[in-house]
Amino acid sequence: MFDNNNIYKPIKARLTDVITESPLIKTFVLAPEHEFSFETGQFIELSVDGIGEAPFTPSSSPLITDMLEVTVMKTGYVTEYMHNLKSDVNMGIRGPYGRGYPVEVFEGKEILILGGGCGLAPIRSLLYKLESMKDKLEKVTLCYGSKTPEDCIYKPLFKRLNNIEKFEAFRTVDKPDEGWTESVGVVTTLLNRVRININKSIAIVCGPPVMMKFGTIRLLEMGFTDNQIYLSMEKNMSCGLGKCGHCMMGEFFVCKDGPVFTYGEIKHNPEIWK
Amino acid sequence: MRYYITTKSEWDKKLDQLLLSHTIFATVSNDLGLDFEFLRPADIDNIKYNCPRPVTSLKTFFLPPRENVTADRDSDSPRIIIGAPNCDIEGLSLLDEIYLDRDFKDMFFNWRRKNTIIVATDCFSYRDNCHCVSYGIKPFTTRIADMSVSQLNGTMIFRCITDKGEAFIKTVINAQLLEDKNFVESVENNNTEVEKTLTEKNKGLPDYARSGKLLESAGKNIWKKYSSDCVSCGSCTTICPTCSCFLLIDKPGFEKVKQMDTCQYPGFERVAGGEDALYELSERFRNRYMCKYVWKPKKYRSTACTGCGRCIDSCLGKINKNELIMELVK
Repeated sequence: MFDNNNIYKPIKARLTDVITESPLIKTFVLAPEHEFSFETGQFIELSVDGIGEAPFTPSSSPLITDMLEVTVMKTGYVTEYMHNLKSDVNMGIRGPYGRGYPVEVFEGKEILILGGGCGLAPIRSLLYKLESMKDKLEKVTLCYGSKTPEDCIYKPLFKRLNNIEKFEAFRTVDKPDEGWTESVGVVTTLLNRVRININKSIAIVCGPPVMMKFGTIRLLEMGFTDNQIYLSMEKNMSCGLGKCGHCMMGEFFVCKDGPVFTYGEIKHNPEIWK
Repeated sequence: MRYYITTKSEWDKKLDQLLLSHTIFATVSNDLGLDFEFLRPADIDNIKYNCPRPVTSLKTFFLPPRENVTADRDSDSPRIIIGAPNCDIEGLSLLDEIYLDRDFKDMFFNWRRKNTIIVATDCFSYRDNCHCVSYGIKPFTTRIADMSVSQLNGTMIFRCITDKGEAFIKTVINAQLLEDKNFVESVENNNTEVEKTLTEKNKGLPDYARSGKLLESAGKNIWKKYSSDCVSCGSCTTICPTCSCFLLIDKPGFEKVKQMDTCQYPGFERVAGGEDALYELSERFRNRYMCKYVWKPKKYRSTACTGCGRCIDSCLGKINKNELIMELVK
């Protein structure tokens, strides 16, 4: 997808739409100048001209190659600029980079997904992929937590998922408002409601570092083994090429060896929850 | 390994001619000591051969401090670099693994590698903090560089290493195949002597693998103790022949400038949300040791510390890496 001769040069992508998902989160719809394909869980480096570049895992379906969506929380220098962008400007894309979800390994399994906050973005892309291969899967359960109902992104997604055969989705918030009828509490509380055959399952965790840590601990308590848990790690992936060193996590470059790892692959490393 | 020979005056004449078509950098003495300098005709006679490592490491010629990596590749005239010690040559081996890896080849690094003839030199002496031999690295070069040069009085002896080097020696320098074993023995004896002395001098310093094991199991106290004199200036990593981390800076027009960076600077691993795994000074300090002795060895074949000792010489806080390792041995 990137310039084969120059690994640092981005391709252009037209920003065609900006969708507000929550007060802090927007989805950017991009039309790349060339066909652009990625595997779910891989990430791209997205640049705002002259401002900076940041890594994002696309939230759109990996089956679509002429359009790309990234869902971005306003949290730093580049993302703040992004949130002020209006459609019809050019952005830069490098990638896709890294190792995504090994979906072929998921065949014949029950899949439990634990997501928090903006961590639902890569999960949405994964859900599109899982939906396309649902005949080969036993079951897909999504447990998602956000701070408030207002912070909950992709609201129509949950209704849709609950109407798909073999799929179910639960939501929880830390602080409910008056109209909230679903669960209250951290995302791990939803696991008490999940009926799953652990021996035939795999679990996927994606969210803020603290949620990933306690989510993993809870899954281990439930009986998941280290290699049944897939984590999507978040580090400062700057070059995406396994060279610049900013995303080193022990001996791993998260950008190249990850961002998706099994807990078993990285648990020896005390750096993972930092 | 084949050796070739020519006279010093012939070699100097050739260098003078080569300056018309090549950019040459060579080790000469300046105010800072011995360093690589852009060679001018008047300096040819001042090139120092067989001296231990120059102030700057060889990496600077392949990874400049700052470059626009979205611009067209530079089309410099071919380069010759003369006088690189083996610690730098071995350091280049790790840079090759990182920058020329199968998946993502850095075209700028690749171009400079291809466009450069590297003439290493055997160290006939050493500096106070030289400890290459502790990590299995010899004070003379037999791989990666194109050739090696040694001066014995008025004679220059060349050791062929690559085909490119041999072709250069034969056709450009017109040196003669060396069949007089006495000359070869003189060079090899010098090498063996330096190796022996360096081994004796660094007796007790653990080898590369053992250093890694000691550092991996080191407690927090040692990092706090030794980092207390660290000012995060980054001189250790800047001057290191193997440290190669960088930052990509965006410029208008989707241009990207690649600037050398270091894990010793605050904020190196900070993510947009503010989390920073290397927020504490002692964590950043530890990161460099772990990267060199524990993490890189798990990932690459080459050593990430070649024992040049530059980080010890350059440290503003006078922190001696080897003293830290020796304290762990006790």
